[in-house]
Amino acid sequence: MAASEEALMWVEKYRPKTLDEVVGLKDIVDSLKAFMKNPKTMPHLMFAGVPGTGKTTLALAIAHTLYGPNWKSFTLELNASDERGIDTVRDRIKDFSRYSRAGFGGGDVPFALIILDECDQMTGPAQTALRRIMEVGSRTSRFILICNQSSKIIEPIQSRCAIFRFSRVEKQAMKQHLIDIAEKEKYTLLPEAADRIVDFSEGDLRHAINALQTASAYKDGVIDEKTVALVIGEASPMQVQKMIRKALYGDFMEARKTMYDIMGNFGFSGTEIIRQVQREIFKMSDLTPQQKADLSGVIGEYDFRLTEGANSDIQLSALLAQFAKFGKNIEDSYADAK
Amino acid sequence: MQTQSKMQLLWVEKYRPRKIEDVTGNDEAKALFIEWLKNKRHTKKAVLLYGPPGVGKTTLVMAAAREFGFGVVEMNASDTRSEKAINAVAKPATSYTSLDSFAEGAKSLGNVLFLDEVDGIAGNEDRGGVNAIIKIVEQSLVPVIMAANDPDIDKLRPLKKVCLLVRFQQVRIPLIIALLQKICLLEHVKAEFEALERIAQNSRGDVRSAINDLQSLSEENNSLTLQDTMMLSSRNKDVSMDETLRRYFSAQSIVETSSLLLFSSVDYDDLLLSVADNLPKRYTDATELAKAFDYVSRADLFRGRIGTENWHLLKYFNNALAEASAVNPESYKPFTLITPPIRIMTLFWTKPKRSLLQAICAKIGAKCHVSVERAREAYVPYIRLMLIKKPRNPLAAYFEFTPEEVDYLTKMGRY
Repeated sequence: MAASEEALMWVEKYRPKTLDEVVGLKDIVDSLKAFMKNPKTMPHLMFAGVPGTGKTTLALAIAHTLYGPNWKSFTLELNASDERGIDTVRDRIKDFSRYSRAGFGGGDVPFALIILDECDQMTGPAQTALRRIMEVGSRTSRFILICNQSSKIIEPIQSRCAIFRFSRVEKQAMKQHLIDIAEKEKYTLLPEAADRIVDFSEGDLRHAINALQTASAYKDGVIDEKTVALVIGEASPMQVQKMIRKALYGDFMEARKTMYDIMGNFGFSGTEIIRQVQREIFKMSDLTPQQKADLSGVIGEYDFRLTEGANSDIQLSALLAQFAKFGKNIEDSYADAK
Repeated sequence: MQTQSKMQLLWVEKYRPRKIEDVTGNDEAKALFIEWLKNKRHTKKAVLLYGPPGVGKTTLVMAAAREFGFGVVEMNASDTRSEKAINAVAKPATSYTSLDSFAEGAKSLGNVLFLDEVDGIAGNEDRGGVNAIIKIVEQSLVPVIMAANDPDIDKLRPLKKVCLLVRFQQVRIPLIIALLQKICLLEHVKAEFEALERIAQNSRGDVRSAINDLQSLSEENNSLTLQDTMMLSSRNKDVSMDETLRRYFSAQSIVETSSLLLFSSVDYDDLLLSVADNLPKRYTDATELAKAFDYVSRADLFRGRIGTENWHLLKYFNNALAEASAVNPESYKPFTLITPPIRIMTLFWTKPKRSLLQAICAKIGAKCHVSVERAREAYVPYIRLMLIKKPRNPLAAYFEFTPEEVDYLTKMGRY
């Protein structure tokens, strides 16, 4: 990226460029630094962990460290979930590894870097094909595979990679990071406000920084808890919450209508909706821990069926029907108690 | 003979004519068919009744069987793929006299083979149909009566050598109206004449769908106004889908639904969607609905496993779907079907919106190293707010949003 075009999203602006700048993740960074001392020894890497914990950041930092400012010429960044077919992935990787070799300004790094994001969205056959690409290309290129769940990646690929697991960003570190960013942007982020953002983000730094930047658009100078609460309220998903409540209160038809709205108007996939359902259930204060656990079991079953079935809306409808039954059972048990 | 149960019958079944003279319309065709039955069976071994659905082809055959006292061995032709299967049914049919005719005296004419929906025969559309029919007729040891929906006379012409072709036409509107009036009288439904007229016109000469419409429209109360019939115009004209769904939801047992699914010619995916759409109208109790949806969800699992090649798994798909229809036969009440599928309609209406959002997310993804899905979830809710707060936000230029896209983001509302 040219220096003149400064990143306007804070997430990009304050993304660490080198491994030294990365906050936290000490164990992982130390291992990676060891590889960087002698890049020839670097194996294929796999980064696994929940979103917003620094996987992409570290991958890009490695590219910076290996190739310097011209990193883009030696790095291919692909989103496996967007580049649908394996053929696209294969073609682009093949072309890339063929033309962009070391020795053309890449220092003494003998390979090109391929960063493949969201690999767990790839189908089984696509992964099998990827395995072959990794074998063929290993002389001229190194892969960094990024995924949320390493269990969704086939064994042969896992065995070819050094796997690093990322856990949620630690609360205190995240809070400090947010306060630092605010200071650099000439804002004062009050500690309570920072706590509020940290809680809301559930360890996802991307959400946290985006929420912070949005809050700064509301008010100059000091960012207080009230402003943050306003942003969080406006930005948190309402439709999914609404859908769940309708279903639990027995209005299946309305719940399903909301589901089709979410899919139709906003284009969310079934998998994404079910992920949000899982999150929202745990936020609901009127359910007991036992009830949440029970519902979570049900959600898990349909999450699995979603991956096997043909129509995600049918599986989601079936889940909503289970919710309606669940709500009815709670009601019945109250009635019995009386 | 069937015993009349307390259960609510479909009016189509309840008022299915028992006598030839009661079959509405198509007098010419009726006469031609009866003439063949009585006197001309030696000239041609088979007769093919063809015409649009719901005009009385099957009804006529059944009524004639009753009146002339011959046994009907029925086979659904779309299931008859091998000659073996035909012989397996047709041969025993000639060797034994039916027990029914024994009981009613010795006036039996023996058995005939009745193949319904012969146009469903044999995979390849261009070659299959006609040749398959000729083969069946040649192989059968008994007279054959066949029924088909294909209105294409050119396609059927080669059959003239072996079959008598009897053409059925749409039943005329006044006849349908008269029939509906009769049913209303018997069911104590007060109906406006204009309402019946509209149902009849809407049916396009299909008596079956007209009666079905009448029943579903007058389900809630015993009166029917022109206003009530307004929703008819939005109804899907695909009678066989409508019919399949109606019989599916009113089924009394898994066995009944299984045979329905086996014989129905509707597309599996359409059926699955439509069943899922209508399930909450069928089961109003939450526990029943959850159970039924669990079966439908399993059917969908098998649909996923079938993919494009594992069609041998279809029976499991059908079984799961059949179970969903019979969670509690007792609770069945007629209801107005939801057609066409909700998903298709929703996705159709919202496509422009969705593709706009897709383009926006792709632009965000390119700048911020995330996939489209991630951009939608972790960026759009915030960028939307920032754009609302600062209308001339440089972010719009940074992401290279078009004015239309900015406009969309600021007005889209919350997820």
